[in-house]
Amino acid sequence: MGRVGIIGVGHSRFGKRSDASLRELAFEAYREALDDAEIDTSDIDASLVCSATHYDKQRSPAGVVAEYLGLNPAPTFNVEAACASSAVGLRTAWALVNSRLHDIVAIVGVQKMTELSSEEIQELMGRAGDVMWESPFGTTMPAYYAMYANAHMARYGTTQEQMALVPVKNRKYGTKNPKAMFQKPVEIEEVLKSRMVSYPLKLYDCCANADGAACILVASRNKVQKLSDRPVWIAGLGLASSPMSLAGRTGPMTSFQVTKNAAKEAYKMARVLPRDVDIAEVHDSFSITEILNYEDLGFARPGTGAKLLEREETDLGGRIPVNIDGGLIAKGHPVGATGASQITALVKQLRGEAGDLQVDNAKVGLAQNIGGIGMYAAVTILRG
Amino acid sequence: MGFEKFGKHGYVSHAKVAPIVDYLKKGELAGTKCLECDSLYFPPKADCPKCRSTKFDWVPLNENCKLITFTEVFFAPPEFQKETPYLLGLAELEEGPRVFAPIDSRIARDYLKPGALLALHPSTNENGAFYQLEKREQNYLRKQ
Repeated sequence: MGRVGIIGVGHSRFGKRSDASLRELAFEAYREALDDAEIDTSDIDASLVCSATHYDKQRSPAGVVAEYLGLNPAPTFNVEAACASSAVGLRTAWALVNSRLHDIVAIVGVQKMTELSSEEIQELMGRAGDVMWESPFGTTMPAYYAMYANAHMARYGTTQEQMALVPVKNRKYGTKNPKAMFQKPVEIEEVLKSRMVSYPLKLYDCCANADGAACILVASRNKVQKLSDRPVWIAGLGLASSPMSLAGRTGPMTSFQVTKNAAKEAYKMARVLPRDVDIAEVHDSFSITEILNYEDLGFARPGTGAKLLEREETDLGGRIPVNIDGGLIAKGHPVGATGASQITALVKQLRGEAGDLQVDNAKVGLAQNIGGIGMYAAVTILRG
Repeated sequence: MGFEKFGKHGYVSHAKVAPIVDYLKKGELAGTKCLECDSLYFPPKADCPKCRSTKFDWVPLNENCKLITFTEVFFAPPEFQKETPYLLGLAELEEGPRVFAPIDSRIARDYLKPGALLALHPSTNENGAFYQLEKREQNYLRKQ
């Protein structure tokens, strides 16, 4: 039993949501989470709105989101850590509850990206890295990850065909997730023939910008025991940082030290080892990222991550199923919502509510969420 | 003012280390050295996070470096679209610091393996001044 537990989760449909505004997306996830927890808005002591706010038209979105959800006058504020915003929101909520400042906290991860013009998106894309020393040379988000991919290929012989197994796997599971952006599977050849974005990453190696929201309700032990007959406990939390500039990092660029540091902290706090993990959600912003994540989380030895895909060890029925809700690649990546989406998938698995995709006897779940180009990483371990 | 002239398209105008643009325009590669603890910074830093000193000198740097990794960008931000595809690299200077820089487009892709010998050479364009990774021989010829 932990000190802070999850009593409810909710998830909007992800994708190009031309039918809904930021606040309306947040409501979809929030409503589902309240129904799941069987509580009311009046039970919530504080809300954390997690979003990479530069993508939203609304400045300081916690203001309108808390208003629209009916959460005034309880405290609300934004949590921003790029793509890891809602994982950091969960960590913040844990601290608020564990300190007894609040009893029940709502984490609302939300992002509305597709109403930006393509010029706005491209302009933002150009400033993903260090704006003084790297952006002036034409960097992009895929370019940074592509540089890790080339280093891994050169050092370990990892191939583009092996990388293509990530979108093939994740898009396959996306077809079983009605809330995923992409509902069609892809073949290896389609991935390999798709348009080059930044060598060696091609269009289907990359996740897509999306709109969406996911909500997590956390509560103190006393409240969890009163409210929930199927609690999921927050067993381990790890968060670390790396230099934002690529030139500020050390080593051969074949792994993310930031993930290793966050994982070490989370495993220690949860008192589990990588082999104890029954189900994982990892940050597959790009195909290569999922492969590096296997290695950095200790699921595979350095250089051997792609072998897990070839042996189907990260498929449903394998040694450690990963991203069997479709991952970022199939669900789409509404930046601020992604971390909470990962937690939502794990909570359903740990409660035994994942239907056709249920992992037998799942007890320990791990979520890993990278922020931006790897300057932040969060690892969260849950116990059913 | 002045730092917007660094790179191929500058985003930031104000910086204490803006004089790097003047060094590059003169064809010189310069970093900063902390006057308290002798730490060498490239790209330059006006402040030393190790000893918190704000006193520094500009020092010349050896341009020899080795490639760590690279990519070739096909889908670019608006200001760079006319240049696609273009190469970007991460290299380690002989004096220790790492540098993120464009790679000379004349370099064959199969030369771009980790450990490949390169030189970081100052260059200028319509925006201002920058540096790029080149093959050492080309660099040698240019100086003759």
